[in-house]
Amino acid sequence: MNRLRVDPSCCTGCSSCELACSFAKEGVFSLLLSRVLVRRDGENASFRPRVCIQCAEHPCIEACPVGALSKQAATGAIQLAEERCIGCRRCVDACPYDGVRFHEERGLPLICDLCGGDPSCVATCQKPQALTYIPVDAEGGRSDEPR
Amino acid sequence: MNQGRQRYSQTILEVNLDKGTVERCSVPAEDVRKFLGGRGVAAALLAREVAGPTDPFEPAAPLIFSMGTLSGTHAPMSGRSNITFVSPATGLYCKANVGGHFGIQCALNGIDQIVLRGRSDKPVYLWIDGEHVQLRDAGALWGCTVRTTTETLEATHGPGVNVACIGPAGENLVRFAAVMSSHYNAAARGGGGAVMGGKGVKAIVVAEPRGSIAPVVAEGFHQARLEVRDALYADTMADSYYNYGTAASVEMMNELGTLPSYNFQKGGIEEIEELTSQYWNKAGLLKGRIGCASCIYSCHRFIRIDEGPYAGAFSAGPEYETVTALGTGTGIASIGALQRANELCNDLGMDTISAGGVIQWAMETFERGALPDEYSEGVDLSFGSEQAVTELPQRIALREGKLGDLLADGVRMAADSIGGESWKWAVHTRGMEQSRVETRGALGYALAFAMNPRGPDHLHTECLAEFGMTPEMRKLIKEIAGDERYARSDIPDKRAEIVRWHEDIYAVSDALGLCAFVTTAAYGATPGRCARLFSSMTGIDMDAETIMAAGRRIVTLERLINLRLGWREDPSSYAPWRLMNERQESLPIENPILDLKRMQRMVREYYALHGWAQDTGVPLPETLKRLELAEFGENGGGAQCSTDIT
Repeated sequence: MNRLRVDPSCCTGCSSCELACSFAKEGVFSLLLSRVLVRRDGENASFRPRVCIQCAEHPCIEACPVGALSKQAATGAIQLAEERCIGCRRCVDACPYDGVRFHEERGLPLICDLCGGDPSCVATCQKPQALTYIPVDAEGGRSDEPR
Repeated sequence: MNQGRQRYSQTILEVNLDKGTVERCSVPAEDVRKFLGGRGVAAALLAREVAGPTDPFEPAAPLIFSMGTLSGTHAPMSGRSNITFVSPATGLYCKANVGGHFGIQCALNGIDQIVLRGRSDKPVYLWIDGEHVQLRDAGALWGCTVRTTTETLEATHGPGVNVACIGPAGENLVRFAAVMSSHYNAAARGGGGAVMGGKGVKAIVVAEPRGSIAPVVAEGFHQARLEVRDALYADTMADSYYNYGTAASVEMMNELGTLPSYNFQKGGIEEIEELTSQYWNKAGLLKGRIGCASCIYSCHRFIRIDEGPYAGAFSAGPEYETVTALGTGTGIASIGALQRANELCNDLGMDTISAGGVIQWAMETFERGALPDEYSEGVDLSFGSEQAVTELPQRIALREGKLGDLLADGVRMAADSIGGESWKWAVHTRGMEQSRVETRGALGYALAFAMNPRGPDHLHTECLAEFGMTPEMRKLIKEIAGDERYARSDIPDKRAEIVRWHEDIYAVSDALGLCAFVTTAAYGATPGRCARLFSSMTGIDMDAETIMAAGRRIVTLERLINLRLGWREDPSSYAPWRLMNERQESLPIENPILDLKRMQRMVREYYALHGWAQDTGVPLPETLKRLELAEFGENGGGAQCSTDIT
């Protein structure tokens, strides 16, 4: 089983991952609908992608008061049962990696589902490799700092 | 599922600065097909306004910001935008292209073109947040540098906004002032920043976009994008761009004697190491790479100096052109001094190529004893003077003192003021300082520079393939010219064909928002692939041939605009005097000079290919008809703008 690895030191801030994500998940290009968010400090050329990294602790699942979140057995991705979600944002607040976004109009969180095991964001990041898809138990797989 | 905006229909934001009003209108549907978007549509907008010679600072002369038709998508390197205006440097048509994220932020906010007209009586900035657009007071920002302006506006409007702004150079109407966006990206050439400053506009601030964009044929777009992406990853140039950026070849060129140095008097400098990106990597000066929107190469680099007299200097770049303009061209061998000069130009909002060009000219004028003493004003103007390159940018941007004010108008006007023979080493044509490309050894580039509507510059018709450095380049030359043996830059044969091909695809790139590096340096975005991206995006049928014809239509329209603005065929303007009259013996070729006869031959072949008159370069009526440009012929279309200039 694999998980996303984020290495902010390699991120070039190009937004390819954000646009690829929204296109894959929503069929449109939108920075607001992406499950990846790149936080930017342009002046210092410092860019930090924020996305669910399928952490072992998954505090988002514990934080959900209605049991709308679960871990997919096949991929290890966090799965949202939209019909149960009450839009309380506790998962957003609980994530230590700033990896859950919230869609205001829908009143729902946006959480990476690993595109079923072939994450489209990773495919756009071949040169910088700020986003990679690595085995869950890989060595050195934790360069992403908590927020 | 979201709908997403579809780009067969495009939106213009019309900003009237005299009245302080903003309106929206649509790009005529036919214009999207004929001119593809971006630079092409902007040229059509300008052509409908310019009726005759126009003062670049005339309030009615528009300044147009244009987003590419693919901008806002993840098509590789598709996030670039253009500004289009009458150039304060040349008085001619000018477009300047810029990376960063400004283009995609506008596109995702629902805007394809922004037209600024008139002049505000007090400083303003334009705030764009989806449907909500407003002119706001910029009094407190006037006089601020690019960094301060950007920081202040980011603090005012919150994270996720993008700022395009001018620095003091634009406010002070420096004729090579840039519009800077995303901190370090410059729409640099031709003085668009001065036009913006003349209009009293300090910045355009674009909110974090809430909108979305959708291709008309999603699966087709996805497939076309994968094709382009894979070809770009496979291109021989890919690793070099990522590892070393645009300055990758500085060391090699220095060894070959092809690196413009000392104001084009020499082909290299003695101590090159510090000016190479290989050194910056090794010495730990490279602190990060910056990707323009949707870029998969990230050639833009962030360099900070940690030690020595210039400790703390930081900026993106220096790019190749900056290395040669402010480094080798001025005889500077220190990365510290170079990066400080680069930082200043970026922060003051000036084109580094022209800034370097005027400083080099001042140095040569001084060394030849032709610069009156009162101009030195305590600055050591010898070649190699770090003081000159690190102090003059500020004086130029603020038009401080006699020298700063003199240089702020560019080398042509500076040489006119100083007189004597100083015009001979003013390396420009028609008022534009030449890019630091040694065209005496690159005849395709020489022809491209001679025909470029904005002056002697590589960013209108980059034609790297003529050097035949990579298999992709040699293959392309064979396709264009019929034989790989034409992949050498020192012969005039087939240059017209090579230039025209690159000119067409470059126009396509600028219209779609693609970085020219993916069409004219790396060659992964072929005409066929560009056509597939455009067609699936807009639903407008296009193939390799028709999209290249659209590129040619844009190029031809730009020639028509220039004819109205007063451009006339002038063989003495094919290249700067120095390059046509002084040999560059360091070049490893037989005839290292731009011989007039060879230039004329190439130009004639180029005009014949275009269907433009041999003696005047005016597009023939049948050419206009074939390209569906009849409405723009014989001054047609130009309605509003013309200034009585003598």
